[in-house]
Amino acid sequence: MTILESPVHVAVVADRCAGCQECVIRCPKGALSMDSVTWTVLADDAACVGCRQCERTCPFGAISIEGPVQLAERAEVSLYHPARLLGDVGETRRGFADEAAALAEADRCLSCLDPTCVRGCPAHNDIPGFIGAIRRRDYAGAQTILHATSVTPDICSRVCNQAAQCEGACSWSLAGAAPVAIGRLERYITERAAVPAPRVSTSGAGISVGIIGSGPAGAGAAWDLVEAGCQVTVYEADATPGGLPVWGMPDFTLPDEIARRPWVQLEDAGVEVVTNRRIAASEVDSLLNVHDALIVAVGAGMPIRPKVPGIDADGVTDATSFLKGAKSALDGTGDAASFLESLGVHAGARVLVLGAGNTAMDVARLARRLDLGALCVDWMDERFALARPDELAEARAEGVEVRFTRTLAALHAREGRVARAELARTEQASAKRVPTVLAEDHELLDVDLVVMAMGYRNDPNFLSVLPGTPVRKVVAAVPDATWRASGLMAAPAPTPGRASIGELALGRESGLWAAALARRDRVWVAGDALTGPATVVEAMAQGRRAARSILDTRPSRTGQPGAPRVLVAYESVGGTTRKVAETIASRCFGRGLDVSVRPMGDVGAREIAAADVLVIGTWVEGFVLAGVRPAKAARAWLASLPPLAGRSVAVFCTYGVNPRGALDEMAALVEAKGARVLSREAFRAGDLKATGTSGPESFAARVVSRVLEESLARVVSR
Amino acid sequence: MVLQAEQEGFRGGREVYLIDPIPVAIRTRAPQDPGTHFALTDPAPGRDLAANSHVARLLRNRKFQFLLILPNQIIFWLVIGIGLLGTVVPGLNFATAITWYVWFCLVFVMMVVVGRAWCAMCPFGGFGEWVQRHTFFKRTTKPIGLNIKVPEKVGQYGFLISVGAFLLLTWIEEYFNIAGPGNPAATSFMVLGIVGSALASFLIFERRSFCRYICPLSSLIGTVGAMGSVAGFRTRDRDVCQSCATKSCMRGGEDGFGCPWYTWPGSADSNLACGLCSECYKACPSDNIGLYVQTPLTSVIAPTRRRADVAWAVALLFGLVVYQQVNALSFFAHVDDWLNAHTGFPQYPNPLDYVGGIAVVALAMAGAAQLVRALVGRRDAALPAAGSSFVDRTSPFRSFFVPLMYGIIPVVGADYFARQLPKFFQHATRVVPAVGHLFGAGTTSSALYNTSIIGSNSGIITVQVGVMAAGTLAAMYTSWRVAGRDLAGLSTSRRRVQVTAAGLALALGVITAVLYVMMNAAD
Repeated sequence: MTILESPVHVAVVADRCAGCQECVIRCPKGALSMDSVTWTVLADDAACVGCRQCERTCPFGAISIEGPVQLAERAEVSLYHPARLLGDVGETRRGFADEAAALAEADRCLSCLDPTCVRGCPAHNDIPGFIGAIRRRDYAGAQTILHATSVTPDICSRVCNQAAQCEGACSWSLAGAAPVAIGRLERYITERAAVPAPRVSTSGAGISVGIIGSGPAGAGAAWDLVEAGCQVTVYEADATPGGLPVWGMPDFTLPDEIARRPWVQLEDAGVEVVTNRRIAASEVDSLLNVHDALIVAVGAGMPIRPKVPGIDADGVTDATSFLKGAKSALDGTGDAASFLESLGVHAGARVLVLGAGNTAMDVARLARRLDLGALCVDWMDERFALARPDELAEARAEGVEVRFTRTLAALHAREGRVARAELARTEQASAKRVPTVLAEDHELLDVDLVVMAMGYRNDPNFLSVLPGTPVRKVVAAVPDATWRASGLMAAPAPTPGRASIGELALGRESGLWAAALARRDRVWVAGDALTGPATVVEAMAQGRRAARSILDTRPSRTGQPGAPRVLVAYESVGGTTRKVAETIASRCFGRGLDVSVRPMGDVGAREIAAADVLVIGTWVEGFVLAGVRPAKAARAWLASLPPLAGRSVAVFCTYGVNPRGALDEMAALVEAKGARVLSREAFRAGDLKATGTSGPESFAARVVSRVLEESLARVVSR
Repeated sequence: MVLQAEQEGFRGGREVYLIDPIPVAIRTRAPQDPGTHFALTDPAPGRDLAANSHVARLLRNRKFQFLLILPNQIIFWLVIGIGLLGTVVPGLNFATAITWYVWFCLVFVMMVVVGRAWCAMCPFGGFGEWVQRHTFFKRTTKPIGLNIKVPEKVGQYGFLISVGAFLLLTWIEEYFNIAGPGNPAATSFMVLGIVGSALASFLIFERRSFCRYICPLSSLIGTVGAMGSVAGFRTRDRDVCQSCATKSCMRGGEDGFGCPWYTWPGSADSNLACGLCSECYKACPSDNIGLYVQTPLTSVIAPTRRRADVAWAVALLFGLVVYQQVNALSFFAHVDDWLNAHTGFPQYPNPLDYVGGIAVVALAMAGAAQLVRALVGRRDAALPAAGSSFVDRTSPFRSFFVPLMYGIIPVVGADYFARQLPKFFQHATRVVPAVGHLFGAGTTSSALYNTSIIGSNSGIITVQVGVMAAGTLAAMYTSWRVAGRDLAGLSTSRRRVQVTAAGLALALGVITAVLYVMMNAAD
């Protein structure tokens, strides 16, 4: 281990330093303090290690670091290369050789005070927390910290693309240095202490929840629900629970016993798993009759098929079928020769894999272990490749040929079976642009088998019964303020045209919040079924978020338990709208409803998820009769609402002269989100003063009676 | 930030992880408490104009600054067009009349009374900002241009680049006799030059770096504006600002851009760099920013952080206005001609006497500070604590020079204002025939063309001397207060240093007033 000796200098532009202390409160080494005379930042160069968090977090760019980072080198762990590839599914990526190596790596962690790695992790694992526990050699404690946010640390530490998540967001990485090996440290914890089993609550939530699908989203949801004492029933189409990590991830990436571990523990904890039971989209309604809540976690399993001549010939299969068969052939439950025979090929045959993403790499590497030749083609430029760089390198090292800027133009069959593939060249100027296919220079390849591994899409049958899915992961034009404050958003995109680490992380965050919202009455969606194909850790985290939402809202198939919950959200500038909102809230509370009243800026997905009825109010902008509309901030907030899936909404506004079409515009905005407008009312600011608050009170009374009517109707109908 | 989690109902355990686990992993240290650092400069809570709901509504409106800029923008593009295409008679050309007879004088009134009022409505910065933000008033997020920061080497000198730009622009104005009044087209070219350089700066640098560092008027408005009665946008509750997790006023929020002027309402101790644009007010998620008024001269007297760039700006700007007074005296033409003849320079003003004259006055200010120190300073006095940057570091010289220069700001402001009065009194009425001329009505024979608000030289001199008397009295007061607080500990006696500082202000006031008498209302 070598510590670089070069000095680091912290330069503060005193003229621009505003004394806000954003750098001071975050500096992991305590190298910054305030000058009490000038109220600007003072820096201690000797204490600085050059992580540049201050640079990234300073709102005015008043601080900069000169000199290299002061960081020990990251010790890489060598891969396991099978001496003889054929039939060897031994794990290729290894953990730390010993505790000393793990502790040395843990010592590289800065224990950042506003850790960007935690934001980079889709599950928001407390990474500095568990690394601190490793330093203390408290592996059980580290597991406890991990367990708070992840039920699959052993799986995630093996299959996560850490470079695009926690390690990509590590302060050292953002400073241009090698990040802490967070994934390997997480794995080390799971190697030293077993992942704790679910701790089932004795009190019992008394909710029956059905989960369709037993992938990572289902596991995450089932875990929290069973811990809270819910009766959880999981419906799985396959014979074995576990979803894609079990059937789709080769053992050399994820050993089978680790992939199955969560379900072993969940079944032991009392989760009922109904295997070999494929739930059709049309069965969702009938399942709602037997469960209080339903979580749809069916994944996105429809393979994308290229529309080229000859694709329907024999000898063309999809990645799912190949992966399932190959796994079984290699893990001893099946037989390689029979599998090859079922595919119509023999050892040494040439397999063309369409695509060069991570699934394609898995297919190709399994093919190599079955003694097949493997060639992957992808129409993207290698600079913008979607596969993990390490995965790509490992595949190539195992003899997989990967050709980028190539696409399949046609398949030519001989006697009904594919025999030749015609490949066209492509060009891709930037990551943002779709590659263009070039007409000339087609090449012909002899192939014996074609495997389609170009990605997956959602089952259209489920999309039709789940409004608003798949949701798009979005980053607002002005990203979340605390995320920007952390400095994560300041990191540039690694490849021009690609999303930066911060944008990726914040996009995943929108998926998480989307999971907290019921898509229909008592129906939640999580994982790939919600956002389209994504990652194991995202699905697991979304499943937990959906479970939390169910535990918060406590749905019931026999009626609404407890009082309906009303959220009054308002946008006020001078206080009039706030007063009206408070009056309405007070009236609702007086009628026994569970009420909260908040400015729109404080209302996020969580608050909306926990409300049965929304009452939304704003002042109207404009001058007399010109440009009269709901306030811009309110319009923006309404436009940013998630799908409301039939939620009841009442709208009101306050105005000076004439509200004109403000109420209609508000109603249209909420209706566009799938809400039902219960009632609407405009209040003249002057009249409120003149006649007391009778207007808002009568409006509130109407809202209350409609809410109670609906609540009663729901109970009766069930 | 853990505190924030507690506020949201965090009671430990697993629940909070599941709701939003990020706050749990945030362990930022508590910000240092500024204690009484801002006690003298924080305006009284009752002086918050934004406490009025109508004002609040206006400030929250995104068109607020656009509507301030728009009329000026129209006028200045008219100036450019009419200066180039209109009559060559300066007094009858709208460009010359509005720019030099009215606008310049109004700017000084605004800076003395308000502060950076002009900056809020400036068409130069406004135009650059519209282009940079690619909108007239909307909250956009991806600025056009390179969007780079002003380099540290430049930034560390604060307002001194702006002083240099003002000296250069004034020399150009004198050389081409733009305001003299010369050819109206020259006014257009000058305005175009400013618009062009502003636009280039806005396309290269981020935010209002142009206004903060480069704009020729910025240092003058910033320093003289300290006399103004508007404190700017300031925090309502500093604890809320200190613990704010977003700092949207600096980084930008959904409704407002981050401060274009690099000012944080949570630490502003004067109106020096508040451009009154209201973006922080719009961006604040906690409604914790107000628009405060203050007693006139507060931003001269109260700040505890005295900046060397401001002090040198005062000295140099004083040098410039005194130079302009001296060059109006009859003997100066001979000096300038003599220098031109010996240096081969074609015409007035010779750069040597221009730079030399300004430097002599500025150095005389430095010398005066040294003299005050020699007269009343304690040799055994320990230097006050200070930072290490150019703007903040201290020395025996700076410990007197910097506060004394703050003290004389009113006399410098009055001097600039008085300098503009002859043109205003003699020619301001020409704006009416100049406007009429555009429609074929105004001529050089029209009554308003030949009318003056104050026609006699003695009348103008009386007003100028009156302005200087008021400025001098104000400067004596500020010098007295500043010396009493900042210099008492460095001097043999508080009263002695106060009298000496006020005496310096008086001397400068008398000298400049005498110069106005000698100038005989020359414009």
